[in-house]
Amino acid sequence: MATQARVRLLVGGGATVVLAAVALLVPVEPRFPPAWQSPTQAAERAERDVPTLGLLWGKVRGWSRVGTGWTVLWQPSHGMWLVSAWVPDGPGEIRWRIDAAPWLPGVRLSGAAAEVLTGLTGGVEQARERLGRRDWQVGESRLLGALPAGGELPSAGLLRRPVVLAVLVGLLLAGAVSRHLVPGVPGRGWRYSVVSVVLLLFATLPELPALAPMTFQPGVRPWVAELAFGTAAVLLLGALMYAGQRFPATAGSPPVGWLPLALAVGTLAGRFEPAIWLVNVAGLTLRLPVLVGLAVLAGWLAGIAGSGLRELLRFSAFARVVGLSLLGMAGVGFGGAWTGVTLAVVSAAAVERGWGTWMGMGVVWGWFFGSLWVVARWETALWDALVFVLLGCGVVAVAHLAREHRSATSESPALP
Amino acid sequence: MFRVRYALQVLLAAASLVVAMALVKGRGVPGEVQAGALARAALVHLGYEPLGEPTATFEGDQELAWALERARPGPAGVRLARGQGGAVRWRLVFPGGGEAQVTVDGVIWSLRRPVPSAPGPALFPSMARSRVETAVAEAIPDPSAWGLVRAQSWREGGHIWQRGWYVGGAGELPSGWRRELELEMVGSTVVSWRRTVHPLGTDLGVVTGRMAELQLLRRPALLGLGILVIGVFVAAAESVAYRESTAIARGVAYGLVTATAGSFASDTLVAAPIQGVVAAVVVALLPVWTELPRTRLRFGPAAGVALAAVTLAGRAYILGAGGWTPVTPPVPGDIGPIRLLADSWAPALVEEPLLRGALPALAVPVVGWWGAALLAAPVGVLLHPLPTVPLAASFALELVLQLGLAAVARFAGVGGAVLARGTCEALVRRASFPVGSDWDRVALIGVILGAVLLLWPRRRE
Repeated sequence: MATQARVRLLVGGGATVVLAAVALLVPVEPRFPPAWQSPTQAAERAERDVPTLGLLWGKVRGWSRVGTGWTVLWQPSHGMWLVSAWVPDGPGEIRWRIDAAPWLPGVRLSGAAAEVLTGLTGGVEQARERLGRRDWQVGESRLLGALPAGGELPSAGLLRRPVVLAVLVGLLLAGAVSRHLVPGVPGRGWRYSVVSVVLLLFATLPELPALAPMTFQPGVRPWVAELAFGTAAVLLLGALMYAGQRFPATAGSPPVGWLPLALAVGTLAGRFEPAIWLVNVAGLTLRLPVLVGLAVLAGWLAGIAGSGLRELLRFSAFARVVGLSLLGMAGVGFGGAWTGVTLAVVSAAAVERGWGTWMGMGVVWGWFFGSLWVVARWETALWDALVFVLLGCGVVAVAHLAREHRSATSESPALP
Repeated sequence: MFRVRYALQVLLAAASLVVAMALVKGRGVPGEVQAGALARAALVHLGYEPLGEPTATFEGDQELAWALERARPGPAGVRLARGQGGAVRWRLVFPGGGEAQVTVDGVIWSLRRPVPSAPGPALFPSMARSRVETAVAEAIPDPSAWGLVRAQSWREGGHIWQRGWYVGGAGELPSGWRRELELEMVGSTVVSWRRTVHPLGTDLGVVTGRMAELQLLRRPALLGLGILVIGVFVAAAESVAYRESTAIARGVAYGLVTATAGSFASDTLVAAPIQGVVAAVVVALLPVWTELPRTRLRFGPAAGVALAAVTLAGRAYILGAGGWTPVTPPVPGDIGPIRLLADSWAPALVEEPLLRGALPALAVPVVGWWGAALLAAPVGVLLHPLPTVPLAASFALELVLQLGLAAVARFAGVGGAVLARGTCEALVRRASFPVGSDWDRVALIGVILGAVLLLWPRRRE
């Protein structure tokens, strides 16, 4: 028996090593330019290099990755204007822009900024006070103080897949209903996990508005924007916590034989079609707890959608094989930024109920890791990505060993 | 005991009617009839006798009105908004030609008469000046404070046209504001003039900034309702699967009424048909949720009257405590009894079943009924607050209303809460519409219904 166990361990270990090598070493052409610096570094560079615009910038409120650079947003506490700058990773030119509240009687730009905007240097600037705006007369050119001032910033292209999204939402609803109609033994550990990560995300809430720069608007004070974001986040997380109690994952041991495969598939999916928004998360100071929280919630949701898909395809074994294969291929072919999620749902549906959430989470975990590895290339983010994946492996190992220990204890003969 | 209870109900009906009539009495936008007479007199003064009765339309610049109130706290600001600020006014169009804008306090804001076939001899600009200045002196109360800043003349249709722009400083308006007047003359006849007001940016900014902030804060509330609707649809799927008894016919009827009300309302959360479908599903599911309190419709309107009184008193308290809240009511985009009815009842029909029905029903197993009611309150608070300074005052006032509605829902059920909210909204919104007994009756529909339900003889239990 011991020899058999050793052989199994060796085969499993070997397969895991091969899968890890495949996931990490298969050459994949990156579809998005990686970020070589963090948003904090980009903000520091902008504050250093952009000439003073004659107005208070305020604090850094948010950022988003656009093309080969970061768009960083500043807003003073009175909220009357927004300063945004697009900072390229390399030595390129920083582009900036000011958006002010429409009712503001024009922000007085500095003379230097007026010269830059009019393209006339060395002229004599004359400040002109107007009703509703503050102008500059530079030579024959007049710069209207009515804002926005500055240039257009590059914008991120939309990566929407409405059909994939609609299918996933439908599967989530089907999964939620199926967990009531076809009840299994609820996993207490999963319930605790969902509650714990929601509480963890609550704790990181003050940092999270930086991920939603569109919340900050000229004329709206930043605390109100943060309140709006915080309220939305609390409602969403509260709903997830509630759903975690009402639609818990089915109890089951971790499928240690399959999890390396899930992790490898997720990593490959992340490298092939990275979740580009994760690079914004990587810019947070508390990125590790946020990543863990999001991964657990996404994995659990993938488990629910997987339950729905499993029940929908239960009527025939052939339909199950064909349906899962088609959905998997469609996810890889057309999923775009949703590839990882689609594969997580398919993986969760492909195994038995007790393993569904584990498999979904395995794929999501790998997808997050692969995405971060591809898009967030500054040192601290890479280290945290590594810690993130090791943390996941460690938790699975502990869960597996604890279960083995429990089974061994229950099987040992009772002492006289 | 039964008689005592019935006597108490009679007293409650009488009290709610009296309080509701006191709340609507004298409220509303005045000056419609007076505006017609003033406009006619002003046009006659320009040498044009308008024919027929004018069509009056209420219009206003809500942000301007609130900025004036903010800049001049108290009754002075309200007077400015209704008078020399020109923020709230009547537009009068005469069927035979001629148009005027008159503020609700009777200030002629703009005037336009048809171009006469014989407008008199064409004047050179220098000769036209005295004629224009005479006309300007008649249009404004303090002509000496105004000065010509620009003039223009051109030839069109065989006549010389003159146009002058006058600027009048702040006048009675708050410091930093500016008044302007544009006047047009053809030949030697003044054909039109129009006044405008330029607010100080910061005064306007406080108001528009608060409005933008409240608009932003409305989004999480909509997200909360969206999450709730997902829960409702999952519950509906389960109830169908378990073949539970639902109120399909009642739900469909309620959904149709809600969709109809939403299609006439000026502001809806989402498209009216979607609101109708959601409300229909919630009402159809109400029998499934057995832990909800029993509906006692007759107490809803009386509670609504009390809530309206508290809301109006709360606004007065904010003003009295040195804060700011708008006195001029929100200006509706269109006026008509249907609009008043729809604006008042559409939010009640949509939001109450969700916030006082579905949310408690879904959350009772986890947080209990009152816990669920407290969850619903912040969502409701963010849906319709008015701008105030400080902003928290607005939320506090809305929170009082939401907690009141939660108490009503506990005592009188979801149906009672719907009637309470509709009655309250109708009484509060009454001030946005013209004065008159017809409008009062529309605003009092809920109260009258409540009185009939309270007085309806019931079987002894």
